[in-house]
Amino acid sequence: MTSTGSLPALQAALAAEDAAIFGYGVAGAHLAGSRQAAAEQDWTGHNRARDTLAAMISRLGAVPVTGQAFYQLPFPVRDAASAVALAAYLEDGVTRAYLALVAVSAPALRDFGAVAMQASAERAAYWRGSTEAFPGLPASALLPVRPASSS
Amino acid sequence: MLLASATTLALVLAAAGCRSSEVFDGPDPLGGPPSLSPDVITLEAVIAAEASLIRAYQTAIGGASRAAAQRAELTTLLTQHQQHQAQLYARLVIPAGYAGRLGGRSGLGGRGASGGTASPQARGVPGSRPTGPAQLRAAERESAANLVRQLATAEPSLAQLFASIAACHATHVAALGG
Repeated sequence: MTSTGSLPALQAALAAEDAAIFGYGVAGAHLAGSRQAAAEQDWTGHNRARDTLAAMISRLGAVPVTGQAFYQLPFPVRDAASAVALAAYLEDGVTRAYLALVAVSAPALRDFGAVAMQASAERAAYWRGSTEAFPGLPASALLPVRPASSS
Repeated sequence: MLLASATTLALVLAAAGCRSSEVFDGPDPLGGPPSLSPDVITLEAVIAAEASLIRAYQTAIGGASRAAAQRAELTTLLTQHQQHQAQLYARLVIPAGYAGRLGGRSGLGGRGASGGTASPQARGVPGSRPTGPAQLRAAERESAANLVRQLATAEPSLAQLFASIAACHATHVAALGG
């Protein structure tokens, strides 16, 4: 993970939010009850985040990337179980995108990315049903460590 | 032998009225360990905070009234904190001979110049007061907020590690019923 410029990182976060908005539309169609309500709530949250990011990009004098009409899903989504898996997958992607913002030089953007990825990591944990030690970080970013001693 | 040589050299230089830095280029071999970088100082503070969280979880898990399922859940969260601590230690590189605020355990499990053989597992705190979910949630929230406050000055990859750990702490708050 290396330092990146603010604008590319913001655009990447926006693209991840657009993908999440599309994905939640697919996932929500296979969910019911409280999980459907959660998916709708998350879909709304991602729409708000998209608007926020688009405004930030515009303030930098750039044109926000446009969301695609269709996204290739990572796996077939045909039932509630795969819909839940898709929601976790989408949140993982959003978390990674915001983590890239933490590497830019602007302190305010680092804070923004860190707070945003806390929210997406929480949503991912909800959909996955478990927490992860290093949300957003690829395994390659972790250093080898000595195994814990039993003594 | 090396120590004796260094001592002899210092005496010779002192008798000649000059400091070793006036004789050698580069770091002063007799001037003690170099000052620590801000990232190292921050890392030490974050490791200490993580150790405090680990102790809190160990105390909570040790509570006699804890149900088996609750104990298992807390153990999962504790394991993740231990993973955080191991990664933080692995990034800690400090000069040999510097004990630091971690009591001389700096660099354990990682690339520290001082080396070490023990794992960075924290020990329990016998006799400490009971720690319930509310206290753990508060500690997790506080730790996440503290980590975010360190981001502005940390180098990029360290900032990302801090942010990822802070995000994990945030998920722990939810897992603890927050």
